[in-house]
Amino acid sequence: MACSSKAYRTNKMKTFITLLTTFILMSASAMAQNGKATTVKTTFSRQTSVSTTINANAAIVWALLTKAADYPRWNSTVTSIEGNIAPGEKIKLKSTLDAKRTFKLKVKEFIPEQKLVWGDGQGARTYTLTKTGDNSVIFNMTEKIGGFMFPLYAGMIPSFDQSFEQFAANLKKEAEIIMNAK
Amino acid sequence: MPVLRGQLKSYLLRITASVPDAEDIVQDTYIRALNKLDTFRGDSSLKTWLFSIASNLAKDNLRAQKRWVEDVTDIAREAALTHHEFFQEAMHIHATSPQGQFEVKEHIAFCFTCISKSLPLEQQLCIFLKEVYDFKVSETAIILSTTEAMVKYYLHTGRSKMISIFDGRCALINKQGVCDQCSELNAVFNPKQKIQEELVKIEMAREAEKGDKERLFDLRMSILKEIDPFESKAAELQQHHLHHNRQVMEKYLEKSID
Repeated sequence: MACSSKAYRTNKMKTFITLLTTFILMSASAMAQNGKATTVKTTFSRQTSVSTTINANAAIVWALLTKAADYPRWNSTVTSIEGNIAPGEKIKLKSTLDAKRTFKLKVKEFIPEQKLVWGDGQGARTYTLTKTGDNSVIFNMTEKIGGFMFPLYAGMIPSFDQSFEQFAANLKKEAEIIMNAK
Repeated sequence: MPVLRGQLKSYLLRITASVPDAEDIVQDTYIRALNKLDTFRGDSSLKTWLFSIASNLAKDNLRAQKRWVEDVTDIAREAALTHHEFFQEAMHIHATSPQGQFEVKEHIAFCFTCISKSLPLEQQLCIFLKEVYDFKVSETAIILSTTEAMVKYYLHTGRSKMISIFDGRCALINKQGVCDQCSELNAVFNPKQKIQEELVKIEMAREAEKGDKERLFDLRMSILKEIDPFESKAAELQQHHLHHNRQVMEKYLEKSID
């Protein structure tokens, strides 16, 4: 009887831990999709992420993310992108983060409607789309910068948080306008 | 059927900007349709089916060509001013042809045809199919063998681009607009007309001051819907202009490749 009671308590504890873990994960996931950027800093790197749920077909979101010349029309954080966003292509990006600088980037991964990665020697930006329904996707954008020399120039790089939030909000707004058009 | 054939021909002229190409593709469309008649199951309307065949044939033809540039009408105007035969031919058509009248509305439609050729092909086709030839998004998706989501994307981006181009260029809807060729040409062909009286007849020009760009674009589309570029009383004159612009663009694009 005593043994049975101990097993019962152990099982209850396991169930409680499982539920708590699920709750924490779900809360974290919900928070992560609220369009708020988060940044994690270490000595040699910095990673900024933003996620948001977009109520539009993944094809529309993908088209917006991969048509270089169209970016300035809908995205207030991008001044211009020259080149083709296609596998292995090089692009030149001008951003409001640093108006004087042209970022020369290479498209490193290109999986239609799923994943896009571009970057240079200092870092990479990854876009992912996770379909949650026919006309709903979770959009995530993460940029990791760093390296051995990172501590020397880390202080000169502005925060990406606001720009990331703006990017995600612009993308969500534009994709949903297109999706809801008659 | 004659109505459908007329619509098909006008659609093809507007996307190819070439009378011979449009006529050839109409012919080929009907030949292909007859050969494939047993595959027509009636899932879509006959109009959708024929436009689908025609669009596929046109895409094959158009993908081999470079897209035009936004300021096509400026470049063509410059070329016309140094090409005296252009005006001689145009005046001859105007004086002798029953389809040689000049009307501002006809020129607005012609202008849209030329500038729309600067859009990516899918955007151009979606705009004409949905906004001018009254196909639904679902039917446009069938015609272009794509998804409804992508049709919505092409329509939105194409419309946004054209609204922005006309807002910057067209003096009829924006006093700062750099182009007033329709008024200029009206003065050449109809010297006795008062342009303001002509413009008042055009709803798009009347509503310009309200500044509703989406509405102005819709009104521009209404003008295109009203006009059959093969049957209108300005058809021959506008086709002559179109032929000129096409030749100018071919040369211009050839040079820009070099």
